[in-house]
Amino acid sequence: MPTPSATSNRPEDVILRLCSLETEVKFKALRELKNQIIGNRTKKLSYVKLGAVPAVVSALSLSADAGDFAGLVQASAVIGSFACGLEAGVRAVLDAGAFSLLFRLISHHYDHKVVDAVARSLRMIYRSKLAPKYDLVQKENIDFLLSLLNSESENLTGLGASIITHSCQTTIDQKALCEAGALKKLLSLLEGSLNQRDASLESLSTIIRSNPDVSSEFMEADSGRAFRTICELTKDRYPRTRLLASMCLIAMWNTSPSYPQDAGLRTKLILVLLELLDEPGQVGDEAPFALSSLVARKEDLQKLAFEAGFVDRLSNHLRKGPLQAKRMQGIFLALADVCSKLEACRSRLLSLEILKLIAEALTHESSEVQVAACICLQSVSRSVKSLSAGLFLNEMLVIPLLQLLNGASAPVQVAALRAISNIVVEFTTRKSTFVQCGGVKQLVHLAKSMDPTIRLNAVWVLRNLVFLADNRCKEEILLELTPSMLSSLICDPEPPVQQQALGFVRNLVDGSIDSIGFIFTEDAIILHAVGRQLRSTSKDEVCVQGMYVLGNVASGNEFHKESVLQQLLPSADSYNQCVLVKFLRSSDNGLRTAAAWTVVNLTFHGCPGAYRRLVKLRNAGVYSQIKNMISDPCLDVKLRVKTALVQSMTFGDSSS
Amino acid sequence: MPLDRGRRHAWVAVQSSSLGAAAARRRLLACPRVEDKGKNNIRATIIVHRRKAMPVRVAESSVPSQIPGSCSGQTSPPACTLLSVGQAFSGTQNVSSVQKDEAWRVNVRIQGCDLEHGYLCGTMEALNVPMADTPVVTFWEGEIVDTKNYTFFTGKWEATPEDDIRHWTKFPSFSSLLSQVESDGGKSLDLSNYPYIFMQDSNHFVPHLAMQRWKEQYFVNVGTDCGLTIAGFYYVCFSCSDGSINGFYYDPNSSPFQKLELKSTNEGLSGFSFSSYELQ
Repeated sequence: MPTPSATSNRPEDVILRLCSLETEVKFKALRELKNQIIGNRTKKLSYVKLGAVPAVVSALSLSADAGDFAGLVQASAVIGSFACGLEAGVRAVLDAGAFSLLFRLISHHYDHKVVDAVARSLRMIYRSKLAPKYDLVQKENIDFLLSLLNSESENLTGLGASIITHSCQTTIDQKALCEAGALKKLLSLLEGSLNQRDASLESLSTIIRSNPDVSSEFMEADSGRAFRTICELTKDRYPRTRLLASMCLIAMWNTSPSYPQDAGLRTKLILVLLELLDEPGQVGDEAPFALSSLVARKEDLQKLAFEAGFVDRLSNHLRKGPLQAKRMQGIFLALADVCSKLEACRSRLLSLEILKLIAEALTHESSEVQVAACICLQSVSRSVKSLSAGLFLNEMLVIPLLQLLNGASAPVQVAALRAISNIVVEFTTRKSTFVQCGGVKQLVHLAKSMDPTIRLNAVWVLRNLVFLADNRCKEEILLELTPSMLSSLICDPEPPVQQQALGFVRNLVDGSIDSIGFIFTEDAIILHAVGRQLRSTSKDEVCVQGMYVLGNVASGNEFHKESVLQQLLPSADSYNQCVLVKFLRSSDNGLRTAAAWTVVNLTFHGCPGAYRRLVKLRNAGVYSQIKNMISDPCLDVKLRVKTALVQSMTFGDSSS
Repeated sequence: MPLDRGRRHAWVAVQSSSLGAAAARRRLLACPRVEDKGKNNIRATIIVHRRKAMPVRVAESSVPSQIPGSCSGQTSPPACTLLSVGQAFSGTQNVSSVQKDEAWRVNVRIQGCDLEHGYLCGTMEALNVPMADTPVVTFWEGEIVDTKNYTFFTGKWEATPEDDIRHWTKFPSFSSLLSQVESDGGKSLDLSNYPYIFMQDSNHFVPHLAMQRWKEQYFVNVGTDCGLTIAGFYYVCFSCSDGSINGFYYDPNSSPFQKLELKSTNEGLSGFSFSSYELQ
């Protein structure tokens, strides 16, 4: 039987020696392995593939049984190293059963060297999202966690903080930790070593996030001293500490936006984070995510960020490239957030030729980068000014976006659809570019998806695409979509899909008599579906779109108007069944407006059948309701009601 | 003018920024210029058009109410379907002078409307512009006078408060607001139910449309004294009742009170039609 050479450092030999029954051989193999893989991602991956991790875990277990402390320390260190910065390593460690073994050791072992080594190893595992959640509701678990935080050992307090960072997810978790005194303990760790400080900052962010009670407890702790300490730490000499302190403040502001009202401090924070973008490694990678979190949904902060040069600095980083995927993702997301509301930010970003970089990122190998690029494009394309200038609907963007629709994962498809839904809002003739690139075919395919989010966004794109499109373009789209499929989408189980489908029809029939004709194809299957949906749905937003469909059709010729009337009064004179009266009585301003416009169009002055339709509407109770709306609180409704009444009076029908 | 975020809003006014530095300085200059003898010594050509009568009068709400006490409340700007995206308007832009009367046919389309930020934008197409053999399309952006985002006082584009009052008073619907605007800029007015919306806007040439070609023709065929510019802006009043738009162009270097007169168009239909899009 061949035996491994005692001196060979070949991975296969090292692994064989790990299984040796001789303690000394095994110890040396563990040490050799540790030295080989430390900081070497490639080596780690190679050993993982060769099955080294189960052998190490087995060595750990045997050392525990044999009371071999030195072996335990070495094996723990190797396991920690495999778990450090490599998801495949974490998975292998977890699959080999190391986690429960390490937890048993840290809970019961008495040797402080072993405990420290195990704690370090567990901390590495807890940095990964793959690590199991620690149940913070169990009292004995909380007690154990507090014992870790109260320990003198830096590794144990660090482990305690890591467990909180990883496992504290709900308000109940946050409350349980605070009640047990974890917040106070974490604040005291801010005075500790660099590692303790950083671990504490990370945990503090976690337990403050989205919990106003904890956030205010934090603000008031030590008469605001803790808050001031963290503000100071944003200026610390260590970049990671600056980042973590900034993230802690962001968590607090996102939870309690009104406190403290200090725009200067927020501007400083933006500047700190912008500087951190220049840092290599993890700090520089995470800085844009922190910026993103700081400015997301906050127009005032977006303005401050813009004035601090946010847009220029981030886009410069993108241009400097090549960047790691994570950093690219973060920068695109941060740019998306800062451009989400302010036109000034969008204009600046577009002037920096961001679209070329977005187009390149759409074909990046990382799906996270693809999604982030889509989100950034979605944000900058909210600029109507730029849409009007035709900046987006070109082959540079459309082709890679359409490629993402084809076979990518659902999150990528949805992100791409959302970006496309904006860029197809084109006011010129470039819509045909999208059609010619085969976009409609793919959209129609996705509109059949079983995934309601994909279906919704696909229909949303079609609705925006058909907005102010010429009749030829509309015809091509309807040919691909087919009236029967459109009817199905109008009656989709999901109300948001119904709403977008009806919005599509509303745009389809808008513009001219010829456009109105589209709704009458295939025995008016689309019109019947609209009427059915209006009679059956209870969702106002769906009804609004449906009423605008009928209102638009009623702006056509006599045949069109009569067809609409048939949909609205299918069973003639039953007052309670008149859907139009129901909508005129709605509490939704938009729905009352749409219904009033429909009445105006049905009785439009100069149309031969206007009086006949007026009589039918009056008999159905519509004009009794209209008269009640003469002082409608919504100005738009009031004005349309007056128009309807003035039109009725032209027939000398003052009784209406 | 700084934003006045604590005020109620209900009127609408429109002002602008350019699509490109080169395009920003072009607009149709009235020709020839005439010296205005007023105190600001503005050079201008005068064009006056009568307001279009509304088919429906809304007498009971024609005087805006005042907000009692504090002005810190906010009301939503008046959502008006006739001023929503996709709506089209047509009419004339008058460019009269002492030498001749001239009117260009004009089409306008609303492309964007963000009432929360008092923002409106769209395109304007001038069809029979002398010396231009293609329609001249411009992109404009508007500021809605809502007393929250924008007030009646422009505070930029070389428009003084006196210029503002002089232009706004050209609109009959403004007369009931004048005293309040003179005393506090109209900040205490609740315009949310007023059937008129006031705006200021200015034009931008859309670089990818006809103006690219037109620009070339302009520099070849038109002298600098009789060219195109978008340096100024319009004071605009929109009627929520019938969708009519009246505007007066202001540019210290152009003829004063050039009038824009537009009506909501239903493009050959027997009624009104409304399209929409939603950005994500």
